[in-house]
Amino acid sequence: MKLAVFMPELLRHLFKKPATVDYPFKKLEVPKDFRGTPFLRPELCIVCKACERDCPAEAIEITTVDEAAKRFRLVIHNDRCVHCAQCVESCPTSPKAMDIDSLFEIAAFDRHDLKKDWVYVRAVMKPKPVPKPAPGPPEPEKA
Amino acid sequence: MKFQVPIGPQHPALKEPISLRMTFEGEVITDADIRLGYNHRGIEKLAEQKTWIQNIYLTERICGICSHSHTSCYVQGVEKLMELEPPRRGLYLRYLVAELERVHSHLLWLGVAGHEAGFDSFFMYTWRDREVVMDLLETISGNRVHYAINTIGGVRRDIDEQQKAKILEGVVTLRERSEYYFRIGASEPSFVGRLAGVGKLPKERAIALCAVGPTTRASGVGIDVRKEDPYAVYDELDFEVPVSDSCDVLGRVVVRVKELLESYKMIEQMIRKLPDGPVAVKAPRRAKPNEVVSRYEAPRGENIHYIKSAGGDKPERLKVRAPTLGNYPATVEMLKNGFIADIPLIFAAIDPCICCAERTVTLVSARTGEETVVTMSDLRRRAKARDSQASLKRNAVWPF
Amino acid sequence: MAVLRTLLYLVVYPGLVFLFVYSTFAEWFDRKVYARLQNRMGPTHTGRSGLLQPIADFVKLLCKEDVVPEAADKTLFNLLPIFGLAVVATAGLLLPVWNFSLAASSPASFAGDIIVVLYLLSLPTLILFLAAWSSTNLFSTIGGARVLTMLFGYEVPLFLAVLSPAILANSWRLAEIAAFYQRRPVLILANLLGFVIAVIAVQAKLERTPFDIPHAETEIVGGTLTEYSGKKLALFRLMADVEMVVASGLLAAVFLGGFPGGALLGFVYFVVKTLFVIFLLSLLRAMTSRIRVDQVVSMAWRYLAPLAVLQLLIVILLKGFLS
Repeated sequence: MKLAVFMPELLRHLFKKPATVDYPFKKLEVPKDFRGTPFLRPELCIVCKACERDCPAEAIEITTVDEAAKRFRLVIHNDRCVHCAQCVESCPTSPKAMDIDSLFEIAAFDRHDLKKDWVYVRAVMKPKPVPKPAPGPPEPEKA
Repeated sequence: MKFQVPIGPQHPALKEPISLRMTFEGEVITDADIRLGYNHRGIEKLAEQKTWIQNIYLTERICGICSHSHTSCYVQGVEKLMELEPPRRGLYLRYLVAELERVHSHLLWLGVAGHEAGFDSFFMYTWRDREVVMDLLETISGNRVHYAINTIGGVRRDIDEQQKAKILEGVVTLRERSEYYFRIGASEPSFVGRLAGVGKLPKERAIALCAVGPTTRASGVGIDVRKEDPYAVYDELDFEVPVSDSCDVLGRVVVRVKELLESYKMIEQMIRKLPDGPVAVKAPRRAKPNEVVSRYEAPRGENIHYIKSAGGDKPERLKVRAPTLGNYPATVEMLKNGFIADIPLIFAAIDPCICCAERTVTLVSARTGEETVVTMSDLRRRAKARDSQASLKRNAVWPF
Repeated sequence: MAVLRTLLYLVVYPGLVFLFVYSTFAEWFDRKVYARLQNRMGPTHTGRSGLLQPIADFVKLLCKEDVVPEAADKTLFNLLPIFGLAVVATAGLLLPVWNFSLAASSPASFAGDIIVVLYLLSLPTLILFLAAWSSTNLFSTIGGARVLTMLFGYEVPLFLAVLSPAILANSWRLAEIAAFYQRRPVLILANLLGFVIAVIAVQAKLERTPFDIPHAETEIVGGTLTEYSGKKLALFRLMADVEMVVASGLLAAVFLGGFPGGALLGFVYFVVKTLFVIFLLSLLRAMTSRIRVDQVVSMAWRYLAPLAVLQLLIVILLKGFLS
């Protein structure tokens, strides 16, 4: 029966720095592509409503403000959002109108402070530029 | 002197509410009764009202520790329904995350077993090493828990060379630490004294009670869905299924640590063999009418999802059989003839994920104390009948 | 003048004020060492590097609601925390720290006071059992039964181990034992086995891992102290801290050569030696896991008691050899 097998490891730790991150006094580093809070770039949005359809938490709400002037209102209910980034995936524009940033310290005292909304005019989807035909072999010069 | 003690629903030993009613004589348990239902959330009903894509995130939230196993099991089934063939690279990435999740879950369990036994230093060390895996998963998928990396037809993100190198580095560190824990767990006398001979489940009883996962692998029954019914990439990987013959909690610790070492092997193989190509194929919105059963080896055992489609964009029925539900009858067997001091250890040894297993509802009449187990269809009938008789609530304000 | 000195002795040093303040410092030291052994930080932000954390915990408990269960025995339930604190504080007064003269005996230091200290230190076990019994809670009853079962295990080795240096020093008076080992420090090594046994037995008396089965959090909720809350719980926790200081003071006085040199130097010696013993107790706490109550009793009688008898034998032979 071996006694005190754990002791050398324990004593070694007395001289090591603790593994705790002293949050919130020291900030946490999040990696690139961290799924934080979703946000909209209204100048790119074509109001296809794919994000509203695919959101599992019903956190995106798109309403028409003015049908004739093509003004729409998009509300992101951050209190319902589960940060899955499916809205970003479903957004068909490129560059993407719906994107996600790295903010995770979004706590508020009132649920309604977490909702963000944008009122904007629907963007027109620019036609993709037709690629010019690649220059072929030079035609034989007419002598 | 017989007396009945309730462990739970509120108890420091339990992470989730469950009621274990034990009958004691002195310090020996003579009978145990498990009651579920404190954590029921109506997930199966909710799944019928969400589309195929939305359900990925719903099934993920059945559990926090084995979240990827639920979503992978679901997505496997839906891909079968929609007759999709995800690309090889997508499959490799999906099961790479699955093995990383197995590592994280087993390290968590080692810590919890140490804490239940009173060995807090072990708990702190294993959870510190688990941070390595959590950080790796965060770089791959964007979140430490609920990775949400699956989509129907493959995975959503790709990994680059730098992430691959980091994963291999992390695995080297973790392998060294896991081997150290193996040595400690096997030789610290107070720890072994608590675990050896506790919670015995003989081999025939394990088979008869349909136990799954490391619980039954520690009783000598070497079943593992990855070996018997290899899905996706597991028939191309070289690994073994660890089995122990000691039938007690110490055997379960040994099996889980060996599974950790096997997972490291598998992760390294997957990284080296990662094929090139796209990571997902486009999935249709609707699925043809059909039904499918999908099996998956979660860290706790065999996870079964049954999905039925009626041809629409929402499933008609989703049934989840989580591994912990299969282990409950075996737990009752193990608790009999144990000591009080062993209850948390025996219960923790099956790696309970109580919120995974909330599937039955027992109606107890408050007046007479009589209990009835009710099926889902019966509950649905009663709810519809009451709904049709209740008056319409006008101006009901949804709290949105 | 003598009255003033006695009053100072009783109230300030090593009396109530000193014991309370020093026991909070000892708890901070224990928590910090335990945390550092586990690669964590321990108390950090209350006060300078967490020194005020135990006092903050004490004040917080004092401000909480005090619930007395209906079926409990009210008189016993309410008085027991105060008894417990009184008992361990009295035991603290008998440590040979200051205000004693070796020639004459005084109420703070007299022949046989080592037995009185040991007896006073075994009273908290009985008080915890009565606390559990008067709570009439199922978990408390199980905890109380475990407390008494453990008492059968560790009392005998503790007594044998602590009395061996007394036998070698030929006296039953703490001050004289300490003075004997100050004169001949080499003989401290003769009692090393007894020191190890005494540290393990004191860990059992203080109900810390590996012997914290009576209030095992993950098994029986709170054990003996399940029903206590608010001021009474604060006093019980303070009793546990003061008991730790007094027990380590006893071990330092008997095994490590006491606290020579009058008031100021004796104070420094007291702090250093008791912190050393508390460090050993924290190391033992971090190193092991909890063992079952039947394993405690069997381990105590199979290993600790025979080793304590062996220590006694060594001391008797050495005594015969020296004379």
